[in-house]
Amino acid sequence: MFLALREMRHSKARYLLIMVIMLLVSFLVLFVTGLARGLAYANISAIENMPANYYVVQKDADQTFRRSQLTDAELNSVRAVVGDNNASSLALQMSTVTTKDADTKADVTFFAVDMNGLLAPKVIEGDKITNDTQGSVIVDRDLEQSGIMIGSTIQDQATGKEFKVTGYVENSSYSHTPVVYINNKDWQGMRQGVNQASEATSGAPFNVIALNANAGQVDKISASTKNVEVITQKEAISNIPGYSSEQGSLLMMIAFLFVIAGFVLAVFFYVITIQKTSQFGILKAMGTKMSYLAWSVVGQVMILAIASLSISLLLTFGMNRVLPDTMPFQLEPSTILLTSGLFVGMSLLGSLISVAKVAKVDALEAIGRAGA
Amino acid sequence: MSAKLLMKQVTKTYGDGDTMVSVLNNLNLIVNEGEFVAVLGPSGTGKSTFLSAAGALLTPTSGEIFIDGESLTDKSKSELTELRLEKIGFMFQSAQLLPYLKVEEQLLFVAKQGKMSSKEAKERAADLMKRLDIWKRRNHYPEQLSGGEKQRVAIARAWMNKPAILFADEPTASLDFKRGREVVRMIADEVKSEGKAAVMVTHDERMLEWCDRVLHLEDGHLVEHELSKI
Repeated sequence: MFLALREMRHSKARYLLIMVIMLLVSFLVLFVTGLARGLAYANISAIENMPANYYVVQKDADQTFRRSQLTDAELNSVRAVVGDNNASSLALQMSTVTTKDADTKADVTFFAVDMNGLLAPKVIEGDKITNDTQGSVIVDRDLEQSGIMIGSTIQDQATGKEFKVTGYVENSSYSHTPVVYINNKDWQGMRQGVNQASEATSGAPFNVIALNANAGQVDKISASTKNVEVITQKEAISNIPGYSSEQGSLLMMIAFLFVIAGFVLAVFFYVITIQKTSQFGILKAMGTKMSYLAWSVVGQVMILAIASLSISLLLTFGMNRVLPDTMPFQLEPSTILLTSGLFVGMSLLGSLISVAKVAKVDALEAIGRAGA
Repeated sequence: MSAKLLMKQVTKTYGDGDTMVSVLNNLNLIVNEGEFVAVLGPSGTGKSTFLSAAGALLTPTSGEIFIDGESLTDKSKSELTELRLEKIGFMFQSAQLLPYLKVEEQLLFVAKQGKMSSKEAKERAADLMKRLDIWKRRNHYPEQLSGGEKQRVAIARAWMNKPAILFADEPTASLDFKRGREVVRMIADEVKSEGKAAVMVTHDERMLEWCDRVLHLEDGHLVEHELSKI
């Protein structure tokens, strides 16, 4: 490191330039990653935050929640395996609601759940609702921006039913729309409003069953219950409409950014290394070990990569603060660690080309050379 | 007196068959402690090859080389690197200092490579810089030094690790006559005061005043000329 540090001290402008480029690239990587995660979170947070690790869906539903339809018969069969508390029905319905007082419309997804079960919403402000209340809902806090407050009345456009907002939940979105939680009683009422079938006796059908189960229980359910498929939370999330394609294109961008970062760095260092070929020849002639020179090159890259990464992390957090709420941005510590690790890794990979070049320099070049 | 450099029947050939060229041809040389030897020859006579072979940078086709009693034959690349670090001091054309190290750091870097303790290194560096009259320049970068000063730093750097022998490759090439003579005199002074040996390769016949012996590289051998004839 003796040489690495002193060289950077001497050629400040050159190394500062490299650092700025690395800073910009790593900032872009982190920022796009944050946006991608934010977008993902806005899409699927309701499912991601559910305390369920498996979902039971109808067999021919292509693992998609909205295409699946199950009845109490399946729910009872599943509950026989995992117990009443570890399985809960979930019905969902995308809709548009209007408010009288704020004169706005908002796209929402209704989640009908058992208010005492696994999926009961965690109210952060306002009052909970029970399985017996009628005409009350808990909504995602994002609806606050549309003027829907606690105490507001919302009307479902499709059925004309009116609900009173009694509480807020946090981080509950499905397919980019805020979730409105209602109990099964109101759900039944809504369904009857749409089709006048004689389902009142057997209870309204629902879409999926959320499970908190282990692998053995999952096998049992697959065997005992006909016409269903048990999928993991991950599979469920990737089949939420739009999720996979959205994340796919963002992931592609991020991957390319990593490759570009690696290349830019590799080329920069290679050019600098070529310029210093004669110096390396002299150093080798004087008896400097190759391992020392290799560490010198790698050490420089490490210092630059880590320094610029630290600054870009600060920049990213700063940026996050000034971003408007409508631009979802999310960076968990694990994502930061992974992204940072990958960035440093790519930088190191790029520096290896320079190390190879240094290894090839012959100490003989030092003798009989007039130029400096 | 022990031999600091011993070259026995050293031959170096390039190419093969009809195009084979012997640059060094059964070359013999002994350099003893306290001796400062100059090797003269016009360009193209194999001075660089001679110096590279003697300096453990190039393995000869045949023959044996001993530095401070240690044979170079059968040594691996990394063993040769270590030997260069410990036993050999190099001076290159136009000094070849590292542009990003200050004068004192040039010396300390070499000492660090040679695993000298930092206290000892500082003392030795100070001692050398004072003797070579570059003490005032110790916190300057090479780009701020004159050509003569650069070569003096190069002398100090070459002696830093107390090598058995110093090899100088045209140390006066980039200097004017006066400065060149000064540099050669300083090499000679250091040889005497350190009790070591030095071999200087040059094409400049005016620089030989302080050399103990002058050899000419002719047809791959070294031929001794009487000093008085020059």
